[in-house]
Amino acid sequence: MTNSIHDVDVLLVEDNPDDAGLVIRELKKINLGNSLYHLSDGAEALDFIFGRGEFSERKVEDKPKVILLDLKMPKVDGLEVLRTIRDDDRTKLIPVVVMTSSREEQDIIRSYSLGVNAYVVKPVGFDNFSKAVAELGMFWILVNQSPR
Amino acid sequence: MLLKDTPIRHKLMRAILLTSSAVLLITCSFYFAYEFFTFRNTSIRQLSILGEIIATNSTAAMAFDSREDANEILSALKAEPHIVAAILYDKEGNPFSNYPLSAKTTTVLSKSDFEERYSFEESYLVGFQPVIQGNKRLGTLYLKSDMGAMYERIRLYGIMAVIVTIISFLVAYFLSKNLQKSISKPILALAEISQAIAKRNDYSVRATKLGEDEIGLLTDAFNQMLEQIHTQNQEIQLFNKNLELKIKERTYELEIANKELEAFSYSVSHDLRAPLRSIDGYSRILIEDYGDKIDDEGKRTLQIIVKNALKMGYLIDDLLAFSRLGKQNVTKILLDMNAIAQRVTEEMVAQNYKTSEVTIEPLLSTKGDSSMLRQVMTNLISNALKYSTKKEKPVITIGSYHENDYDIFYVKDNGAGFDMKYYDKLFGVFQRLHSPSEFEGTGVGLALVHRIITKHGGKVWAEGKVNEGATFYFSLPVF
Amino acid sequence: MITRRYIFTLFLLIGIVFLSPAQLSGPSQEYQVKAVFLFNFAQFVEWSPSTFPETETPMVIGVLGEDPFGTYLDETVHGEKINNHALIVQRYKKVEDVKKCHILFINYKKKDQIKQALSALKVKDILTVSDASNFAQLGGVIGFFTEEGKIRIRVNLEVAKNSELSISSKLLRVAEIVKSENN
Repeated sequence: MTNSIHDVDVLLVEDNPDDAGLVIRELKKINLGNSLYHLSDGAEALDFIFGRGEFSERKVEDKPKVILLDLKMPKVDGLEVLRTIRDDDRTKLIPVVVMTSSREEQDIIRSYSLGVNAYVVKPVGFDNFSKAVAELGMFWILVNQSPR
Repeated sequence: MLLKDTPIRHKLMRAILLTSSAVLLITCSFYFAYEFFTFRNTSIRQLSILGEIIATNSTAAMAFDSREDANEILSALKAEPHIVAAILYDKEGNPFSNYPLSAKTTTVLSKSDFEERYSFEESYLVGFQPVIQGNKRLGTLYLKSDMGAMYERIRLYGIMAVIVTIISFLVAYFLSKNLQKSISKPILALAEISQAIAKRNDYSVRATKLGEDEIGLLTDAFNQMLEQIHTQNQEIQLFNKNLELKIKERTYELEIANKELEAFSYSVSHDLRAPLRSIDGYSRILIEDYGDKIDDEGKRTLQIIVKNALKMGYLIDDLLAFSRLGKQNVTKILLDMNAIAQRVTEEMVAQNYKTSEVTIEPLLSTKGDSSMLRQVMTNLISNALKYSTKKEKPVITIGSYHENDYDIFYVKDNGAGFDMKYYDKLFGVFQRLHSPSEFEGTGVGLALVHRIITKHGGKVWAEGKVNEGATFYFSLPVF
Repeated sequence: MITRRYIFTLFLLIGIVFLSPAQLSGPSQEYQVKAVFLFNFAQFVEWSPSTFPETETPMVIGVLGEDPFGTYLDETVHGEKINNHALIVQRYKKVEDVKKCHILFINYKKKDQIKQALSALKVKDILTVSDASNFAQLGGVIGFFTEEGKIRIRVNLEVAKNSELSISSKLLRVAEIVKSENN
């Protein structure tokens, strides 16, 4: 799925294509498919967010509405991406939803209370997602959406 | 203070003083008695000497009938204050002269008293001494002496004895005080050193040997013992050091192993699950998107695939939980078991088991690890619920009681129960007493419960009857 | 009959009463005592051994002049021994008769007689005794005198010494010691 790199509502950072496939499918079901961009590793994600490298066309200010962030990724992993985003004033307010594959990771995340606002358990389905969105207070994302 | 508790120097001094006092006392007593008994003889002898002298001196007076002279001679007796009376009788026995002059007597001497005789009469010593000149008897001298001399002498001896005793006692006291030192000093030194060593736990100190006597032997033995203890202590210390090193090594190795395990579990958790997610997810997609194109058999096949993927997920979860438990520390805090049971039950019932009737009796508050005990309750309660589904009216009871320093909790159900024959297998890993077709399960739940409770220092046990239900107990120590 | 005997007895009694005791009976009480004294002197005086040449040599108590003792002196010394020497009594009428004698009782009363007798004797070893007054002062060894009814003795130590007589202090104690009178 190739979408525009601009006006991205949801940035999905997930290295496992199968997992990504599942997530995209679910998000599509709730009409977020078009405003979604999928990246496969943390480095790319940072480039995307900060408009560097491949994505030097992008501007930092063009922030995604929410980032779905997988934790375990090659090169730069999820928590590092998170840290980097939070360290930068321009990006620190971007809502981040961390995706965990099991409850153990929740423990890790809990102890890293740097700005993790919400987490969902993979596979990310509607229930999961809407719960996270509720925690983030981003109800408006769902305004146009309706469960199938 | 009891004799056995008095200090050695007092014991020694006491022994010496008592001995010398006893010896002195015995000596004095013997001497006393001897003197007393010989004094009688001495008195007699003295009186008879006096009598003889007077008699001899008064021969002329008797011969020449000189009463004046006789009086004069007798009056010399006043030199001996114990002579109370003396009478000179002529040869017929008529009183011729007397002493004291005032005590004139007229009694004639009986012939029986003409002979020389000295004897004790009542409390006086009396004597009859013939007055003889050449071989002519001129008369008889009578002497009477009181025993004042003896009593005086006894008194004198008494006083002397007392003075001697006192002086001897003082001398003995000072002597014994100094002499006992030769025994008590080395003993005290030894005792002091033992105390010092015991207090400071310093076994490198040695006692000084002060002589070759038995105390010296004791000192040697003592020092030998100290040497042994010291050496042993050093060996022990060395051993401990080595042990500590070993422990450090092992701990380090363990930590590494644990870290590896952690990494491993995390790997397992994350990486093993990923494919499962795909299997599950994409199978569902198949069903969703191509459901109309697949026949029932195909759909069923896919269901089976999905089910197994899920199952594998559970297996992984359980296994991970079980292995993770190994490195977890039990953090004991006071828990509200009621709240825990309540919450767990609500979760369970909400999830799957709506028709069950669960009664939670008031539970004791006990000390334990919050998350672990939560896990225990979860496992037991979910088991109870799961194995009761076949019953029409599943009844679950959760309760607790106190017994012998332990808080005991139980979860009772009236479900499928189990055969006590297979009790041993109940808490084994992956051991199941029912087939998956009867009840699903991984066989890890109870093993987990067993492990957690054992870590708390408690015990797990169960009672069951096939088709009549089972009760699972666990105990937690109260201290 | 009865009357005669009665009268005879009466006269006898009267005669006994009025007759001088000296004439009638033996020695008087006084001389009995003096006899005993003489005997006693023998026990308190020591003579030089030359007066007893042999062990059997008797001790002689002599009486010069009239014998006032009667038999009493004999009775007193009878059977007695002084230091194993038998005692015998000798009587002398005159001074010249006096031979070996240990104790000599001189029964002279007059001073001249005494003096003459004493000077005539001039023999040593004789214990001269008398009851004449001042006998001891006159040169005799022992003199009797009576005091308050009791017979006392005076001793002239000097004469005793000159006579080579050793008088026991016991005797001296009961005696009055006197010195010779200067004539």
